[in-house]
Amino acid sequence: MEKYWQIEKANLKYHIPLHIFVCVLMLLCSPLLMGVENLGAQDTAKALEMYAALIGIVLLPPVFLPEQNHDIRDLVYTKYLNGSVVYLVRIAGNIVLLALLLGLYIGMLVHHQCEFPVGRYFCGTLAEMLFLGGLGLFFYGLCDNLVAGYMMPFVYYITAMGGGEKYMKMFYPFSMAKGSYSEKLWLAAGGVLLVGAGVWLRCRRRRLF
Amino acid sequence: MLGQLFIKECRQTAKSLIFWLTVLILIFVFTSQLGEMEIKTEPKPGQGSYEGYGHQVSDDPEMIMKSVLGQLIEEYCRRNYTTYPIGFYKRVTPNQQEEQRIGEILKETTGIGSRDEADRVREEWYSAFNTMTGDAIETAYSGSLTVEPAVGLTYDHFIELMDELDGILGGGSKYSKQYLGKNAEVPLTYEDASRAYQNLIEKDRLAGGYARMFSDYMGIFLGMLPVFLAVTRGLRDRRTRMQELIYTRKCASVTIIASRYLSMLVMLTLPVLALSVIPLSKCIRYANTAGIAVDMLAFAKYTFGWLLPTIMITVALGMFLTELTDTAAAVLVQGAWWFISIFAGVKNLKGGQYGWSLIPRHNTEMNWQGFHEGFAQLAANRVLYAAAALLLVVLTAYIYSQKRKGRLDIRGKILANRKSKS
Repeated sequence: MEKYWQIEKANLKYHIPLHIFVCVLMLLCSPLLMGVENLGAQDTAKALEMYAALIGIVLLPPVFLPEQNHDIRDLVYTKYLNGSVVYLVRIAGNIVLLALLLGLYIGMLVHHQCEFPVGRYFCGTLAEMLFLGGLGLFFYGLCDNLVAGYMMPFVYYITAMGGGEKYMKMFYPFSMAKGSYSEKLWLAAGGVLLVGAGVWLRCRRRRLF
Repeated sequence: MLGQLFIKECRQTAKSLIFWLTVLILIFVFTSQLGEMEIKTEPKPGQGSYEGYGHQVSDDPEMIMKSVLGQLIEEYCRRNYTTYPIGFYKRVTPNQQEEQRIGEILKETTGIGSRDEADRVREEWYSAFNTMTGDAIETAYSGSLTVEPAVGLTYDHFIELMDELDGILGGGSKYSKQYLGKNAEVPLTYEDASRAYQNLIEKDRLAGGYARMFSDYMGIFLGMLPVFLAVTRGLRDRRTRMQELIYTRKCASVTIIASRYLSMLVMLTLPVLALSVIPLSKCIRYANTAGIAVDMLAFAKYTFGWLLPTIMITVALGMFLTELTDTAAAVLVQGAWWFISIFAGVKNLKGGQYGWSLIPRHNTEMNWQGFHEGFAQLAANRVLYAAAALLLVVLTAYIYSQKRKGRLDIRGKILANRKSKS
């Protein structure tokens, strides 16, 4: 357990502070961009799905970034501990961070008299964050390119905004605002699969070179 | 030298995965949004609604009061209010105390004293449609709920109360002094619709209107996608360990950066021009059967005049921030700018009010009048972004030259090498 904690400590100290700062900044700016007081369930869902969930794109895809340099990657892969374990520990840590930030944000909404099913919305938004981040992680792993990792979830988000419901069906990210929750289960499952596939692709790459 | 480098850079871009993803996304956007585009036909007298031919607002105080009070009742019943406090969409839900004061304002302006009564007025308005049939329904739908003001309410006092209401909502609502006069939308008559159509045919020569709508849709994506290409190109030298090798070459920094910039502009503009051939051919086919003249260069003019400045500034910002920080930070910065521009543009979808937005909106093939009136602002907007883009390219070349001299050359930590020397 100690070695996993060491990995996460290094992640928190060196790799992720700037990304956490960006996420906090985004959440703090939200009252400027949208109403966050006295909202009903539908409007709260919009704030969470269309805005708060975006921090998933900021926090999950850069998990592979510290080993972007092939020399460093080769060095890490020579270690006794499997490279995929390092990635999974970082991913788990970042998901906990996402949950914490989301929890604080939801706390702020509750404090501002918003009325909504807290548990359901928390899990639904976290599922969307996981899917957005997982999509980025998958394309980062596939293309070995962080920019692709940011680009694909962004395109997915714009497509959903531009009436993408008919193309995305059960992977439509803004379903809670329309009163449907089943899409969130698909997003959670899809997110887990994408994260797993992304890590697999990344680690497989070392055998290709 | 610039020409040779430019061709090399174009080849590099053509091999880039991000470039081809960008092209695929543009094709997808085009087919999903404009693939089934139909050319507008001439309006006929007595066809019912002329909604698709444009919109107009009345400046008659009586009409403004009726229309604004109708919208107030809609929002009062819904218990939330749309505002644009710093330019973009925000939905405000007032607390109990604020709701009470809004109720008092509603009573003073309309005589409606409770939410139940407001609900009843609204239901009566909409249930009136159930008794209508055919064209009558279409005509009625083209107008929204209107409510008679209370007896004795003067326009000045009405403005005063609406201003107070705007203050309660945090500003930027449709009840503000600046926006109040734009609320009274009235349905177009046959003559109005016919005039708008003649503008499309004569002033825009058909293709101009469709080129604007094409630019509107493409602009949404071109306000973001080019930054991915610029960041990828900026990071590629370091990734492939070619940076130091290129630094030692004789070629001037300005030439290297300019060739990269120009190649990205050309490679991003080409697919847009290629896609524009499809709506242009639709316009030509329609014009041939209807016997009207088409502006064959309209799509090219709008691509270079409207879309190119957006591509220029997005690529330039991407290159500048990537060269400055050696990270993908430009994606986040451009993402934030894009998000704000899109939400700020929501209230100006019909065109004519372009402001200083990165992504000017004109989501209709009609409204030549609005375009004509807002043209000076649009031109100033586009020139500003093109000039800012060129300035950023010069700054990028400066940073690049400094790095070649061994300065600013620490990944993500500007001037950090100065500390290490001391």
